[in-house]
Amino acid sequence: MTNALEVHDLRASIGDLQILKGFDLVVPFGEVHAIMGPNGSGKSTFSHVLMGKSDYEASGSAKVAGVEVMGLSVDERARAGLFQAFQYPTEIPGVTLDELTHEMALSNPDDTGFDQRIAETSERLSMDPFRTRSINLGLSGGEKKRSEMYLLGVADPRVAILDEIDSGLDIDAVRQVAAMVEDLRDPQIGVVIITHYSRILRYINADKVHVMVAGRIVESGGPEVADTLEAGGYADYQIAAASAS
Amino acid sequence: MTTSPALGQRDASWMAARRAEAASKVPALSMPSTREEIWRYLDLDFDPRLDAFAEAPGPAMAADAIVTGWKGEVISIVDGFATDASLPLVTETSEDELLTKETDLFVAAYMAFSPGAVVLSGDRLATPVLIDVQSTGSNTTFPGVHIDVPAGSDASVVVRMRSASDEGSVVVPRLTSVVGDNARLNLSVVQDWNYATRSFARAIVTLGRDAGLTLAEAGIGGLLSRLHLDVDFVGNGSYAKIYGAYFGEDDQTLDYRYFMNHIGTNTRCDMFLKGAVEDDALSVFTGLIRIEETGQKTESFQTNRNLILSSGASAQSVPNLEILANDVKCGHGSSVGPLDENQRYYLMSRGLTPDRADQLQVRGFFEQVVSHIPDDVVADWVRARIIAKYVTAQREGRV
Ligand SMILES: Nc1ncnc2c1ncn2[C@@H]1O[C@H](COP(=O)(O)OP(=O)(O)OP(=O)(O)O)[C@@H](O)[C@H]1O
Ligand SMILES: [Mg+2]
Repeated sequence: MTNALEVHDLRASIGDLQILKGFDLVVPFGEVHAIMGPNGSGKSTFSHVLMGKSDYEASGSAKVAGVEVMGLSVDERARAGLFQAFQYPTEIPGVTLDELTHEMALSNPDDTGFDQRIAETSERLSMDPFRTRSINLGLSGGEKKRSEMYLLGVADPRVAILDEIDSGLDIDAVRQVAAMVEDLRDPQIGVVIITHYSRILRYINADKVHVMVAGRIVESGGPEVADTLEAGGYADYQIAAASAS
Repeated sequence: MTTSPALGQRDASWMAARRAEAASKVPALSMPSTREEIWRYLDLDFDPRLDAFAEAPGPAMAADAIVTGWKGEVISIVDGFATDASLPLVTETSEDELLTKETDLFVAAYMAFSPGAVVLSGDRLATPVLIDVQSTGSNTTFPGVHIDVPAGSDASVVVRMRSASDEGSVVVPRLTSVVGDNARLNLSVVQDWNYATRSFARAIVTLGRDAGLTLAEAGIGGLLSRLHLDVDFVGNGSYAKIYGAYFGEDDQTLDYRYFMNHIGTNTRCDMFLKGAVEDDALSVFTGLIRIEETGQKTESFQTNRNLILSSGASAQSVPNLEILANDVKCGHGSSVGPLDENQRYYLMSRGLTPDRADQLQVRGFFEQVVSHIPDDVVADWVRARIIAKYVTAQREGRV
């Protein structure tokens, strides 16, 4: 059976700096996975390399709903069903969220569900005041994350990578985001949450928690992995990773 | 439609005298030198044919979207002549006030050959006015507009400039305005010459006490289009917001020389210009904030941002400050660079092709200034023209 996401031996570097060093991950449809890892371990790089950002020299395989996306352009990957919620969403002065969602709909002429998803997600996240403002411009950290969740709802992807979607959110907003992720859970989509906090995992039943250290996944398990990390930090993994390389 | 009489026929005696004097000076004046800072960066190696001035208007151009979409009064100035002969022309007093500080070839030629500026004042400014300035042939033309905003009143004027002849023409437009105490002028200037026209526009706005100016300029056309603007903040408490959007392609040169002269106390100015150039186009912005000794408590800011869309294009951005008072706030910012990679990446990650992503980015770049054009029809027209230039260049692989 096809998985939502299959990543095999993903490697990425910038100049001499190797960031991803053989990254493997499989997310079946209908599952929500979490990736946790220390600062600088390459979590965002994984997300960007999967999306096709051109800064990196990348190799390996990544399949979105069975389609190999390595070698595709960024927009082709998006249209293949990949969605990235950015850790640091880019500000686009002078372009409103409504204009963007309109363009998203134009880019996917076969998908007739945009209007409905725009209406529903907007209502759910109370996006009305933000839709006619410039994308991410002058938004608070939490509002930017909300805007990313809105675009996720509008895009209706097959794979969603949520890079620190819970950072900077107040308690209620974390619950709201978590509830939305739980609602996303569907046989049509696989979700990856990159997070530093086990807090959000209290509201989401992650099927798997992966620990990423120094450019690769070093441990995968159930939700209990997050509790172990919460108690002991990354020190043991980092020592192991250092002696392995 | 009434036709205006030929140049000179309606001249008051003072006008005839001045015209004769200026005309006698013109032959001795040569083209300005690009060694002078104010003419720097330009290619002035062409014959301005200033004595080939239009002696009568040619056939007027057809109405277009801006004219038909306009709800108020439309005044046409064809080859320098107001087509409505009943319009008042400039008088000696109003003109004298605004005689410029400089006498270069183009100023002298304007004095010598202009049929006289159309004067807008009083009741004529009660509703928004569109001035349709046309250059129809290959003659050199000297259109003039003077806007006299009475104290305490509000005026809204759009000046749009266009040309018809492919043979090339030179236009020397002149726009002056006195904004009375506690009055407001909302002025939009849409420069849409064809690519054979060279234009040397001079504009001077004088602000009275607590008077306000909002100026939105869009520079789209012209082989060489220059706008030399002075805003004189004479009255205490006067203020201005100045927005500019320009887009050059092909061999166009778009040249802006903006001088903000803060003379009264407590005056305020925000200037924000954004431009893009592609192909071999050149844009020039030189801005000066000058604060006189009397200009205490001035707050004045200028920002100029430029997008370079192809490798052969270039933008000069030179903001300057000259501050003689000690209790002021001012600042300037300027940038020249390509489209933003992160914005392109973000938009593409939402499924937009690189071309659509860049179109959106270009549109957004200009939106921050175009959104300040008060008339929606004019604003939409400017938006459409700018994006059409860019999309055509994308399609032809020029950007
Ligand atoms: N464009 C880049 N240029 C230079 N170095 C980069 C670039 N992108 C990532 N890196 C480096 O690669 C490493 C991994 O960065 P990345 O952002 O992927 O970490 P992360 O796991 O997401 O960290 P955090 O938890 O702080 O968000 C870091 O050392 C970072 O400095
Ligand atoms: Mg990160």
